[in-house]
Amino acid sequence: MSSRNQERGVAREGATETEVIAACESLVREYTRGSGGGWFGSGSLPTVRALDGVSLSVRRGEIVGIEGPSGSGKSTLLHLLAALDTPTAGELRVAGEDVRRLSERGRAKLRLEHVGLVFQRFHLLPALSARANVALPLVELGWSKRQRRERATSLLADVGLGERATHRPGQLSGGEQQRVAIARALATEPDLLIADEPTGELDTATGRQVLDLFEDLGEDHAIVLASHDQPTLAIADRVISLRDGRVQGADR
Amino acid sequence: MSLPGARWLRRRRALVGLAVHRVVGRLRSSPQRVVLSVLGVALAVALVVAVTGVALGLTAESVVQNDDTDFWVVPEQSTAESVAVSSGGVKLGDVHAVSERIERDERVDYATPVALSVVPVTDRTTGETEYVLAAGIIPREGQELFGLSTTPLAPGDPHYANGSYDGPWTGEAVVNDAAASITNSSEGEELQVARTGTNRSFRVLNVSQGEAGFGFGSAPIAVVHLSELQSATGLAESDQADQILVSTNDPAVRSDLASLYPHTTVVTKRGLSAQQASTSNLPLAVGLSALLSALVVGVLFIATLMGLEVSADRATLGTLATLGFASRSRSLLIGCETLVVAVVGGLVGVAVGAGSIGVVNRVVGAQFGIAEVAVFDPLLVPYGLVVAAVVGVVGSVYPIYLGRRTDVLEVLSE
Repeated sequence: MSSRNQERGVAREGATETEVIAACESLVREYTRGSGGGWFGSGSLPTVRALDGVSLSVRRGEIVGIEGPSGSGKSTLLHLLAALDTPTAGELRVAGEDVRRLSERGRAKLRLEHVGLVFQRFHLLPALSARANVALPLVELGWSKRQRRERATSLLADVGLGERATHRPGQLSGGEQQRVAIARALATEPDLLIADEPTGELDTATGRQVLDLFEDLGEDHAIVLASHDQPTLAIADRVISLRDGRVQGADR
Repeated sequence: MSLPGARWLRRRRALVGLAVHRVVGRLRSSPQRVVLSVLGVALAVALVVAVTGVALGLTAESVVQNDDTDFWVVPEQSTAESVAVSSGGVKLGDVHAVSERIERDERVDYATPVALSVVPVTDRTTGETEYVLAAGIIPREGQELFGLSTTPLAPGDPHYANGSYDGPWTGEAVVNDAAASITNSSEGEELQVARTGTNRSFRVLNVSQGEAGFGFGSAPIAVVHLSELQSATGLAESDQADQILVSTNDPAVRSDLASLYPHTTVVTKRGLSAQQASTSNLPLAVGLSALLSALVVGVLFIATLMGLEVSADRATLGTLATLGFASRSRSLLIGCETLVVAVVGGLVGVAVGAGSIGVVNRVVGAQFGIAEVAVFDPLLVPYGLVVAAVVGVVGSVYPIYLGRRTDVLEVLSE
């Protein structure tokens, strides 16, 4: 645990019980393998259990790391926490909403207002400038052009890219693109920030800069980040290890 | 406006702006599919503009050709018949009196009824029956009808004799080459009307190169006195004719002409009037065929190419979904992008179509000596853009369907 984490941990222990942003209980996610037999299909298809009884809660101001080998269920858990998917069984609440009960539209609204996502491959829109990319979620929120512009400019300045606002993703380095993606994830002031291998495409130095950003953000947000990378997981307050869809052992 | 309403509007406007931005961005980064989509719609719109221009040309020429004429008073017909060849259609009655009344208006240079009838005449050599389009008018010096000068005909309409139809029968006719050819007649020779119950005949005063100008080539035409054609064809009863030609320099005359008869329409020399568009089957059919072809071609083109575009852009759609863009917003974005591409294609298509009309007119003029076979009416610009917009709206259904099928989790795992 880094020294900054230790400071944050001390502060948290001193505080009264902090707000639970995301919580799941006995979470199960099964996928059906194959495409079915059409009209005359034989019916039962083999299922794969990607998550098997995972329980977890994430509080504001906490960074939770998720580690595990490929196929362990990391991405599945992140997708469920981001309300991109719904569980087969178990309880899942994000920002007070029962995800299982939400329609697709309701889940989109939940993501828009409460969840920010950062991907390994940035997923920026290549035709748009850095500022337009950051302002993208605010389009769906119905903010005015002036408001969007001001907010995006401010966020880009916060992540150290104030001078690169008009550059397109293709004109930015990997680290800069990831910082734009983080700024975009923060645009709607989400309660929960989810990052999937945020340093996976970056060199060590650039990855460190991005992790510093996450550490700074950890004060006000609940952060869940999945990674294979130990230095990345080192910024987490606790790390959950997944194997075959189950939580292994105690939190680190 | 309520706050949620304002927000809804801002969101829609921003999504449209985003769509435009993305199309422009694609034109910069990977323009192939967008350019092909634009060209596909442009091709369809150019087709519809050019062919409709030709149809308009046919329609504009389908009224009786007379350069001095500014208005045609024609019956409102329930069937879409050409004004020029509506010999069996609805007739105007009491036309001599009405024409005289119109001519008394000092703003009017002249007015003449025109009766049109396909008349069977006997071939002088073979004895067989041939058909000519006979046009009956009240001739005056220097007047032309179907390109035939009426000067050789005795002025006025002597046989009419104030409605008694017992005045002197002049039997005078001016015919064009085609009529002279099929009846084997020449100047000074008789044309015998081969109709049961009449032994009327006309004498050819002059043969000249008249042109019906219907766009169907040269039709056999004979111009005769109105009352004599009426007598020979049974139109004398109620003094019937097909239309009244009015020459004037005052556009205000039109409203007076409109009140002459109930259920008539006043047609101007040219223009995209409903009457003109509806009075000929052929131009209408040509225009409709072009429209349908353009819609089918345009929709198939843009649906296929924008569908490919959506498939190639699944990562972006998946990203928007992860950011919280609702499925409806993503569909709107795809629809707007398709519409933007279609409208750009429409603009290009209108320009190309207008150019095609010019080229067609030049080529036809050079090859066949016809002055203008197609007309570019300014209304073709909005027409082409509306066609493009319809292509865009209908063509967006398939890309939107593909967009909605995008599996976000699959995209993220790629």
